[in-house]
Amino acid sequence: MNSTDLKFLVVDDFSTMRRIVRGLLKEMGCNNVEEAEDGAVALATLKAGKFDFVVSDINMPNMNGFDLLKAIKAEDSLKHLPVLMVTAEARKEDILLAAQSGAAGYIVKPFTKATLEEKVQKILQKLAAVA
Amino acid sequence: MKMDLAADLQPAPAHASVEVFQQIGTITRLLHDTMTQLGVMPKLQVATDGLPDARSRLHYIAEKTAQAANKVLTSVEQAKTDHAAITAATQAMARDIVADPVKAVASGAVYNFVREIETRTSTIDAHLTDIMMAQDFHDLTGQVVAKVVALANELEDSLVKLLVQVVPEDQREKVDPNTLHGPVVNPEGRTDVVANQGEVDDLLASLGF
Repeated sequence: MNSTDLKFLVVDDFSTMRRIVRGLLKEMGCNNVEEAEDGAVALATLKAGKFDFVVSDINMPNMNGFDLLKAIKAEDSLKHLPVLMVTAEARKEDILLAAQSGAAGYIVKPFTKATLEEKVQKILQKLAAVA
Repeated sequence: MKMDLAADLQPAPAHASVEVFQQIGTITRLLHDTMTQLGVMPKLQVATDGLPDARSRLHYIAEKTAQAANKVLTSVEQAKTDHAAITAATQAMARDIVADPVKAVASGAVYNFVREIETRTSTIDAHLTDIMMAQDFHDLTGQVVAKVVALANELEDSLVKLLVQVVPEDQREKVDPNTLHGPVVNPEGRTDVVANQGEVDDLLASLGF
């Protein structure tokens, strides 16, 4: 699976963080990126369009990242989507909850470009191996 | 809010020390029972317990913003150095081509110039990425600010409720009840949080994820 062909949704209530992740994805050759400012908007956006990858924060108003992840995994049309959590939440219980809820990966902020690239590629390789 | 209410309250009249002591004891008991009934005591305890945490959170904000500013300035200085080198190389190349274009190509000067431009622009691009990444402080500090503001609101709310209950009847109008109206800062010593991405990966790997 070539990451440059994929459509990403970046979910975070801070516009600067959405810009940073979008910029990093662009440097990886992923130019097809949309944004959502919270889980509720993200879920509606995902249902309305065809996306291939979700990068989501956890602490957000209206619907947090955990609830978004659970909603995605509960929806037949969306449960196949890989969801990479990118968050300041560093508590072990949150990391485990994300993994048990079906998150494809977990990155703690602050993070580096290399970490994001590594995690995205790792997830895509796993998906390609399963397909 | 009118936190200067304490200064406005009438001072207790002068009495013999035993009587004063008894009054203080009675008021303290009344205060304790009222706070407990209101459910204020637990909230006030949490709020006051959070004060040292608020100070460390504010310190975290100051540190993060200073780090971001320094990162950006460093990247800008380095990018400017590369940019200056490109300018100098371009001007030198222009002079060589004007002087003797054939020699400029044959001697390899043009090729070397192109390679240097490639290298320098790649470095500048890396500096620009660093500047972009340095903006991540906004997200982290914003969450911490939200938590400190929530703590301050909780503390104010609890204190005003307390004052409304204990202020003498004839002075309650001085307190306007209508005025009542969010990353791990210190991971040291904590076993319930991870300190870096490596620990996240190790935790997940140990559980088979």
